[in-house]
Amino acid sequence: MKEIRYIWYAGAVFAIFILWSMTAALVELPIVPSPVRVLETLGFIFKDSIAIHGLYSLWRIIAGLFLAIVVGLPIGVAMGYFSRIDRILAPLVYLTYPVPKIALLPILMLLLGVGEAAKILMIFLIIVFQVIIAVRDGIRAIPKETYYPLYSLGAPFQAVFFEILWPAALPKFITAIRVAMATAISVLFFTETFGTQYGMGYFIMDAWLRVNYLEMYAGIVVLSLLGLLLFGLIDCLEKHFCHWQYR
Amino acid sequence: MIEIKDLTVKYTSLKEEYTALKNINLVVPTGGTCALIGPSGCGKSTLLKVMAGIIKDYQGSVEFDGAELNPAQQKIGFIPQNYGLLPWRNVVQNICIAAKLKQDKAVTKDDLAKIIHLLGLDGLDKRYPGELSGGQQQRVSLARAFLLKPDVLLMDEPFSALDAITREEMQDVFLSLWNKYTVSTVLVTHYVEEAIYLGQKIVILSANPGQVAKVIDNPLFGETDIRHRKEFFEMSLELRDLLKQGGKS
Repeated sequence: MKEIRYIWYAGAVFAIFILWSMTAALVELPIVPSPVRVLETLGFIFKDSIAIHGLYSLWRIIAGLFLAIVVGLPIGVAMGYFSRIDRILAPLVYLTYPVPKIALLPILMLLLGVGEAAKILMIFLIIVFQVIIAVRDGIRAIPKETYYPLYSLGAPFQAVFFEILWPAALPKFITAIRVAMATAISVLFFTETFGTQYGMGYFIMDAWLRVNYLEMYAGIVVLSLLGLLLFGLIDCLEKHFCHWQYR
Repeated sequence: MIEIKDLTVKYTSLKEEYTALKNINLVVPTGGTCALIGPSGCGKSTLLKVMAGIIKDYQGSVEFDGAELNPAQQKIGFIPQNYGLLPWRNVVQNICIAAKLKQDKAVTKDDLAKIIHLLGLDGLDKRYPGELSGGQQQRVSLARAFLLKPDVLLMDEPFSALDAITREEMQDVFLSLWNKYTVSTVLVTHYVEEAIYLGQKIVILSANPGQVAKVIDNPLFGETDIRHRKEFFEMSLELRDLLKQGGKS
């Protein structure tokens, strides 16, 4: 089963490679270089320059993600389990959730400076709402009867959390992270074009301004691989912790 | 002994107050069984939830062996209608959860193996509830309840989701367990036959508001092979008539 999954990944890479090669051969412009040359460039510059940019981007995503989990998970659990808390917090969440977070970037930059904090906070803001809402809805969807045997055993909240709330919310939570991740990476790209010398966003824009299309494409490939790595990681976590779903 | 005195439960919805149960008085002797039966909406499940400590807002008193109901101190085994198994825990984890929460050191691996064997769950240890049939899930929930050696066992229509054959089989499984462990048991049912087969005492509730209409000491309880006897059918018909009249005779 596992081997088959990897074959499909290889197939996807191959298909994109073919499409890209065909486009490059067809348009014959420097703005669409052949993938072979891009990969050559990538191999050449990866260790010396791209790797550090990739690591910076990865760190920002993981830091933002971690913050979003630490803050969003307890809020989501509280809102899902205690209807009174939901009544108070839901309007607040609904009012702020639809605001495009990228519109807040100038404010964040003014308040926190153009450094790491604003970028990480941006990622956090994008992921945290999805986490809150998914976890809350996941907990709300638990049938009441599920709690009864625990209530009749006089279980404290802590036991209810670990036996029911956490395992029930986990799959919803992982889906939320998966959905939010793509947006987070796109926004990260944007934030990295301001006030930093590191990150994939900076690298790609810098290559573009230097009219070095080969390096620009190499950056895009790395960004895509970064996404693949993160999604793959999430898939692995889900397989490990939510395997009961796949039985 | 389970002793319920002047129990009244009211639900308050947005518009009105609704009395689900009114002045319920009920005594179940230690090691006895009691079947609650009545028309839908008569508050049978509500009564069971009060005893399970799930509904806390009630008037009157509920005592187990002289002590006021307190789920944190007493061992209450509760089997809800859909068995209440946790889909993210496998069979063994589900069975052990009650003992785990009660931090019951008296429950040994031996007890666990014994109850798994007794309920015919051997080899299913690592399965998840979603991979089990209804009858198997019911067995797991019985194992969970009995492993704890509860002071009281409460079952809400435990066998109603099963097909007729499996239901009768599970009723026998329950009786054999009950004979072995002698636990004071209250079960809710809407099957007259089930009430006669499993209830030492049969309590008929009437609806609007839920009240005890009649308490019958079941003379057939505990006798072997009663399902095919004439008295069983006669009593079934009698009970059915009583239920049709709303419990008032």
